[in-house]
Amino acid sequence: MGSYISLPSYLNTVDQRYRLVGKSCEGCGAILFPPRLICLECGQRKMEDIKLSGNGTILTYTVIARGGGPTEFDDLQNMTGDYAVALVELQEGPRVVGQMTYCEPTDLKIGQKVKAVFRVLYEQEGVIRYSYKFQPVA
Amino acid sequence: MGIGIIGYGAYLPKYRIKAEEYVKAWGNFSAPGVMEKTVPGYDEDVITMAVEAARNAINCAGIAPDSIGTLYLGTTSGPYGEKPLSSTLLAALTGNEDVRTADFMGSTRAGTSAFLGCFDRIAAEGKGAGLVVASDIPLGPLDRASEHPFGAGSAAYVIGEGAPIAILEGSYCTSIETLGERFRRAGELYTRDLELRVNFMEQCLQKSIHGLLGALNLTPEKVDHLVLQQPDAAKSLKAVGKLGFPDKALGLGMIAAYTGDTGVASPLLSLAHVLDHAQGSERIVVASYGSGSDAFSLLVQDGIVQRRAQSPEVPTFKDYLEKKEYVDYLTYLKFKKYLSTFKS
Repeated sequence: MGSYISLPSYLNTVDQRYRLVGKSCEGCGAILFPPRLICLECGQRKMEDIKLSGNGTILTYTVIARGGGPTEFDDLQNMTGDYAVALVELQEGPRVVGQMTYCEPTDLKIGQKVKAVFRVLYEQEGVIRYSYKFQPVA
Repeated sequence: MGIGIIGYGAYLPKYRIKAEEYVKAWGNFSAPGVMEKTVPGYDEDVITMAVEAARNAINCAGIAPDSIGTLYLGTTSGPYGEKPLSSTLLAALTGNEDVRTADFMGSTRAGTSAFLGCFDRIAAEGKGAGLVVASDIPLGPLDRASEHPFGAGSAAYVIGEGAPIAILEGSYCTSIETLGERFRRAGELYTRDLELRVNFMEQCLQKSIHGLLGALNLTPEKVDHLVLQQPDAAKSLKAVGKLGFPDKALGLGMIAAYTGDTGVASPLLSLAHVLDHAQGSERIVVASYGSGSDAFSLLVQDGIVQRRAQSPEVPTFKDYLEKKEYVDYLTYLKFKKYLSTFKS
């Protein structure tokens, strides 16, 4: 089964998916990703856009084996084998879930340094969805 | 001061396939001089590779992405036949939407067309910095020799005012009717080649390079680096063999032995490698090819040394060349989506 995200919803997230644009709270300084309308820390609404570096560390990860992911990723799985999804703590603070690329899931380690890269996520209805993924750095 | 290249960046995907993998699969490898070639990852395409090179170029130039006023992208192999690719590229670089963008497609010459077009635009109107990106993953039919050299890569240039690392001395473009070599009818996925025994490339390169040298009143000895479109690692060298360039001008720019044919990216990616090593006051002549040829001459400025020193975190062409992982032929087919039948 797929996890359908409508194109209008996807388009609303282009800035975060393509450039890692989050929010910085003018009240308490918290940095939020994905961006929110209300600060999760102090509850106020004044927030500025902030472009995150994409550098971070793997806190934990899971390996998606055959049949474990939404159907949008079936071809990826057929052609590249099992893939990993990691919970990454960005250097600015926010924790974000992202697919790993340019690596074998068996080579990953908790604490591994990663950076965000711009990649094809999947294709649906003839439209290509792009997003950040994470890639290990030496 | 004046207008010139103020930053540049290269990108190669990390996967490689060796010539011997083709020999195992098909009994031969028909890409003269190519020892291995670049292979994109499954989740890479022309746009994702363009983003990598563009970010490198922007970091090299030290400009804010929001200051880009012109963005031109050259490719033959974008994922959409209709739907601007440059809009996706722009959105991956900056939130500024007030930018003149254009896609240059349909020829391996598209990258230099975009490059010269961007110079014209910045010289005529200014309006911030110009960003030119050439990115390509040419695709051919697997049962044809013409597919064998096809690699993948991208290169990007920031053109603007400031302290240029190279200025444009002059250009000379030719457009010549050629038929039967590397073409793709509308709606087709793979290039065709009738393998005619006609050396169009020699005709086109000789005409553009002769024209350029004549217009600038130069002789081949005055050229420190010659950078050519490289469909493989032999053809372009042969095409300029009679022009009398010194051997030393033909070293740095020749990259296809390790990348394969990077299509639209080929001349501009080779140029990036030359710029990684060039010194002030050197002259670089670049010539692309595709039913004609765009030739232009660049004069390297002293500032190039400082610019390279200021952006040590930007990977060089050689960094990408050395960071590699070999794949077998079956993986090559999977990564380039030759075996994908699933459509969601």
